[in-house]
Amino acid sequence: MVNPKEIRDYAAGLLEQGRVKSVIGYRRGTAGCFAEPCTLTEPGEAGSLVWDPTCLNNLALYLVKDRKQQAASRTPDRRPIGIVAKGCDSRAVAVLLQENYFKREEVVVIGVSCEGTGVVDPRKLKNSLKGRSALKVEFGGGESIRITTRAGESELPAREVLADRCLECREATPKLHDVLFGESLAERGYDAPFRAVKAAEATSGEARWATWQHHFDRCLRCFACRSVCPLCYCPECVVDSTSFVITPQTSAEEKANRIRWCERSANTAESALYHLTRAIHLAGRCVDCGECERVCPVNIPLRLLNTKLEMEAFEQFDYQAGRDYDRPALISSFRDEDPNSFIR
Amino acid sequence: MSDPSQEPQKFEPRIVAFLCKWCSSAGSDLAGVSRLQYSPNATPITIPCSGSVSPLYILSAFNKGADGVLVSGCHPGDCHYMEGNYLARRKLYLVKELLQFVGLEPDRFRMSWVSAAEGAKFAQVVDGFVKDIRTLGPQNRLRR
Repeated sequence: MVNPKEIRDYAAGLLEQGRVKSVIGYRRGTAGCFAEPCTLTEPGEAGSLVWDPTCLNNLALYLVKDRKQQAASRTPDRRPIGIVAKGCDSRAVAVLLQENYFKREEVVVIGVSCEGTGVVDPRKLKNSLKGRSALKVEFGGGESIRITTRAGESELPAREVLADRCLECREATPKLHDVLFGESLAERGYDAPFRAVKAAEATSGEARWATWQHHFDRCLRCFACRSVCPLCYCPECVVDSTSFVITPQTSAEEKANRIRWCERSANTAESALYHLTRAIHLAGRCVDCGECERVCPVNIPLRLLNTKLEMEAFEQFDYQAGRDYDRPALISSFRDEDPNSFIR
Repeated sequence: MSDPSQEPQKFEPRIVAFLCKWCSSAGSDLAGVSRLQYSPNATPITIPCSGSVSPLYILSAFNKGADGVLVSGCHPGDCHYMEGNYLARRKLYLVKELLQFVGLEPDRFRMSWVSAAEGAKFAQVVDGFVKDIRTLGPQNRLRR
């Protein structure tokens, strides 16, 4: 099991030696037992770092945010950043490196292995506790999670409370790291990768449309999925043209003729267009960290759309985002044996 | 005699065809100058290369009311830009899979390789596509 003290000591060491300007990690949050992301700049603060199954966030997002901040800053601080990364976070960092978003030497990846478990799904945790609130959630060793409530301590099989993405995780140990804490387990007794997608595919087209129509219809267009995604880093999203500046000189014709790929109104077809576009933009890039699904206020299973394309990438093109970061990106490469039979 | 304006309008499929300017577009031209009779339902949009088709074009066409979308490019190995059609093949395979996954009928999106010499093939592809769309009826799923 990973001892959080090791992570703290390492982070403090990095900051003391001045190897990094800051360390992005998790600390105890204010929302119940859940951890929250934090940025440490002083070695003395390293004591607040935690590592337990409530460390839900994908911290790679904050690397992207820092990058954007530095780009806008007059006095950019180009020193490297340390980041505590789970398997999925490390894959996201790998894809960002592949896309030259930053250089390898600009990030120090403090890898932590999820070992036999992963992070909990707050909704599942709530259900399994039947209304009581958890005070503490810890790794129980092996494939179990130890939960402390006011009624006492109990150990649950991890399968009951783990997030869906963790059940289907293909790499619980960060492959890209500068230092690794915890063991790397080859075998985990959970679901096969892409299980949920395959189950959805087994239903008929009509049934799938009925489901997705229902989901797209409920979408609020709050764009939380886009905000939380470490790989949705475009300065201007295709669905909102913020660069179309309307001045007093803008004629009615210009306003009418501007390109609108997608309207912002939250109706079924426009939301479908938004979600499908987002899925395509993440094809071969999505690292299945499941953040979009976690933050969705109306519980749209967004992960399915992305994992569907990841499954095709893996099965048809032998490509995995985050694994093949030394190769050209999925859609900017091809092989002669790519599927051709669907073309007339 | 019945008033034609009172009759229910027959469904005419609206197809958006993205045609590569180096091959399929010339192929459609050849079908025209050869006086081949084929369905007039496809609206051609000439593009520089099938590889330049953004998935957004396809999604947007469906969103704005297309009953079917056809992308047609050069045969593998014949791309004017060496590899554009290979990239298109991979990209549009993903689009096709995604559209099917959310439950759009598989026949609504089609891709074909038509060279500049294949006017007859172009007519045949469009005819076949229109026939399939006719049986499916209007596309209302992604239409706004």
